[in-house]
Amino acid sequence: MTRRKSITALAATTALAATLAACGGDGEQQASADQAIDDPQSVSGTVTWWDTSDATNEAPAFKDLIAKFEKQYPKIDVEYVNVPFDGADDKFKTAAQAGDGAPDVMRADVGWTPTFAALGYLQPLDGTPAMDSADDYLDTPMASNHYEGKTYGVPEVTDTLSLLYNKEHFAKAGIDGPPETWDELKDAATKLEKEISGTDGIFLTADSYFLLPFVYGEGGDYADVEGKKITIDSPEVASAIETVEELSADGVGTIDTSANKYTNMQNAFKSGKASMILNGPWAVSDILSGAAFKDEDNLGIATVPAGPEGQGGPVGGHNLVVYAGSPDLAASYLFVKFLNSSESQAHVAAENNTLPTRASVYDMPKVAKNEIIAAFQEPLEGAVPRPAAPGAGDLYDTFTPFYEQIMGGQASIQDGLSEAQQKAKGAIPGFES
Amino acid sequence: MTARGTRSRLSSTALHTTLILASATAVFPVAWVGLTSLQTDRNAWSQPDTLGTLGLDNYVDVLANTRFATWFANSLIVAAGTTALAVFIAATAGYAASRMKFPGQRPLMWMFLVTQMFPAAVLIVPLYNVLSDLGLLNSYGGLILAQCTVAVPYCGWMLKGYFDTIPVSIDEAGLIDGLSPFGTFWRLIVPLSKPGIAVTVFYSFITAWGEVAFASVFLQSENTYTLPVGMATFVSDFTAEWGMLTAASMLVMVPAAVVFFLVQRHLIAGLTTGGVKS
Amino acid sequence: MTTLTTRPDAGAAPAPVPPRRRVRNPFHTNWLRKHWYAWAMVTPVVAVLGVLVLYPLGRGIFLSLTNANEMNVGRTIGENEIEPTYDFVGLSNYIDVLSGAEGTFYSRLIWTLEWTVACVSLHFGLGLGLALLLNRALRMRGIYRMLLILPWAVPPFVAAFGWRLILNDKGGVLNAVLQGMGFNGVGWLSEPLAAKFAVIMVNVWLGVPFMMVALLGGLQTVPKELYEAAEMDGASAWQRFRAVTLPGLRPVSGTVILLGTIWTFNQFPVIALLTGGGPGGATNILVTEAYERAFQGIRDYAGAATYGAIIASMLVVFASLYRRWLERQTTGALA
Repeated sequence: MTRRKSITALAATTALAATLAACGGDGEQQASADQAIDDPQSVSGTVTWWDTSDATNEAPAFKDLIAKFEKQYPKIDVEYVNVPFDGADDKFKTAAQAGDGAPDVMRADVGWTPTFAALGYLQPLDGTPAMDSADDYLDTPMASNHYEGKTYGVPEVTDTLSLLYNKEHFAKAGIDGPPETWDELKDAATKLEKEISGTDGIFLTADSYFLLPFVYGEGGDYADVEGKKITIDSPEVASAIETVEELSADGVGTIDTSANKYTNMQNAFKSGKASMILNGPWAVSDILSGAAFKDEDNLGIATVPAGPEGQGGPVGGHNLVVYAGSPDLAASYLFVKFLNSSESQAHVAAENNTLPTRASVYDMPKVAKNEIIAAFQEPLEGAVPRPAAPGAGDLYDTFTPFYEQIMGGQASIQDGLSEAQQKAKGAIPGFES
Repeated sequence: MTARGTRSRLSSTALHTTLILASATAVFPVAWVGLTSLQTDRNAWSQPDTLGTLGLDNYVDVLANTRFATWFANSLIVAAGTTALAVFIAATAGYAASRMKFPGQRPLMWMFLVTQMFPAAVLIVPLYNVLSDLGLLNSYGGLILAQCTVAVPYCGWMLKGYFDTIPVSIDEAGLIDGLSPFGTFWRLIVPLSKPGIAVTVFYSFITAWGEVAFASVFLQSENTYTLPVGMATFVSDFTAEWGMLTAASMLVMVPAAVVFFLVQRHLIAGLTTGGVKS
Repeated sequence: MTTLTTRPDAGAAPAPVPPRRRVRNPFHTNWLRKHWYAWAMVTPVVAVLGVLVLYPLGRGIFLSLTNANEMNVGRTIGENEIEPTYDFVGLSNYIDVLSGAEGTFYSRLIWTLEWTVACVSLHFGLGLGLALLLNRALRMRGIYRMLLILPWAVPPFVAAFGWRLILNDKGGVLNAVLQGMGFNGVGWLSEPLAAKFAVIMVNVWLGVPFMMVALLGGLQTVPKELYEAAEMDGASAWQRFRAVTLPGLRPVSGTVILLGTIWTFNQFPVIALLTGGGPGGATNILVTEAYERAFQGIRDYAGAATYGAIIASMLVVFASLYRRWLERQTTGALA
């Protein structure tokens, strides 16, 4: 799951990072790291881990790993807590600011990480066992962990939006392969709606994160990091929405603006009432439970179509981060190291069909033969990293209500975008809006 | 006579029709959730026209594969604790406000009212910090206290009103018999106020049983999760285990309904006889 | 000093203070002795509400006068203390909100008022109607009463999810029924007007039983003799309702309308869980807006507290006006 809900921002971030480094028991923190490196077996303590993965489908794989970890380090106890992804960042920030009740280790969305780091809640991991074989990490997922010259986390899983399609529908409508541009997709969707009764060619959701492939297709984004500007009201975003309007017109496809939009989209696709959707690897196990995909091979996975100026889905995923106030830093480093080792990542990838972040893991047998992971390889290679500025992850939540208004016909594209731009003022400290 | 008989038969039909329609509206959503919880097909919730196979799979799933029992026990402890504490302290304060003239009486009644006005959602962060200072995070005690902030003002307000309907002569008799004011309250007034107390017990329990906002922020380990927090892991913006959610919902509603049926005799009796005393 | 001198006296001669005197002659004791009992009985409540509500509330009002946000408030992370760097800004937060400079306050306020008036009047109207129907001798009265109270036993978060299932645009049972009857489906959760209707409907569903039970209790306190007397005078059913029932219900209805208004005004779960304030923010009331400020984006502590304080002061003004009006009505009716 990749959405980065919410979050914050902050200003005097440089000053803050400096303060953190200066004050606060540097010596002791160094001692924790040294102990964990020199004599890991002597480390004792309790590590509380907030996991935001799907409690029913994904959590069991992680619980397996915890059992193995506790066996390997008998003096360390792990307390596993599954925290629902929606609002986990709120809960973490509330606990972190009070200095009481925050977990030692947290699974943080890539969009949350820079914000947490800038607020001073995270422990830099450079030089600790948590950074074990860091060279092996894929560059893009690793990038979201760097902030102000330090590393605040390691990537646990990565993902991106792709085009998912119903192969049987494509065959019936006489379409050879997945469309490669938005124009081709429109033709395909029109054909599908005509040929297969009761089906929407494509089912879109009015969520600004899911608009990103269209925006990237126009060569735009919601924030311009180099120009230090929020760019929601840019012409690129406007053209992206025009494309969405064409694709959600009658006879082509549909778009959902309600609170149930995501699950409605999933459901329509699963039951064969929609032929194409845009979604990520996290959705695959759910999709395969649907009536239309009793035969797993019916699911087609392809890179999102290209726009005139570019192509690709956003890079998402989750990092493992350590709370700066943790009383058990040494144990936390060891836990992160264990949880993110190649073997552990391979286990999780094979169990949950999610994409590992270590290059070496893709070559391991049980991952290499996983067809779903293989199918996402190509989309992932072309995926576009998101701005790593603190607060940038918040733009999606700010923008979505206005996107809903535009798609619901209550606001023109221009009005909606300029209001969203106005509302986003100050979301990323130091950025113009 | 005939005319009157016909009219009453007509009006009786109309009366029953109205009540049946109203009852159906009241029950339908609950019944629909119940029906969905029995459908074994994982995607049945989105196909209202097909019934599919019915069974208890979702219930088995919830009871066997989640920590439902722990959550349930936690909810019970928190709801019962909140109810006991809130009703007790609200009753003593309500009694004092009803029977004794003391400086601060009016501010107290205003406090009951005003504390209900400040939106609790905005108070979560400061409240978290207070509980953290008191060392009460992630504990039943902390959550019970937090939920009391919702229950106490209402209970105090309602109970003061109820005590006002009980004749002061009863208190005077108690004092003459040598009871302390608290003794009078505890031995004489409380038993007479059972119906009024039942209403506040019901309210506090129901409110604490379903409370989400405080619980989801103040509880930080799965051992202390209450039902609403645990159930939030089934359905969110991105997951839709409706089968498990609806099954769990039914299991949540049952104790609430049981409490209701237990107190309802007092509830109705109280509301019917409450006025006779005044 | 007074206490010191009186105490030994009382201790030396305990006999002359029989329990009876305490009741009959409370005015002879001093101020503290006169009131300590009452204060002791209210202390637990004052302590709980003071620590858990009034302190955060006071702090909220303080924050609303500053520019505090998540980044500049003081905090302790492990061993690291970060000093607060926010400033006192006086009333400028209030001015920003109330002058409409921020744009959304007045549109939210209007919808909040519409929502509150619609919900409370439907709660009261339907609750009173059902209470009147249930207040007569009637077969199956107990069953009706039980069924009608059921929504009260449903926790709001369960109700919100249940209704989300029922109202879903695609695959919701309500639209399936409408389409079966030949109508078009309605975008209950995706069209602003329909969504407003939907949240009101769900809140009414949840809130009617409380009103009904309270008013049923109230109805049973109206002395039967008054009805008999009115009937003897030849009053019609409507006249009896106007002249006997409504005045008899005034004490109960005064309280439940006041509470209902406060609760509805601040009704968070129904809107947050049913529509999330959407589509496009159309169903956001002031309290959900305040929550968004408190939690989304830069956690704007000052902005959220400002909204909270404005909401609370509007309710305080409303409550005092309403109670004054109620008192005048009651004395008017008595005179």
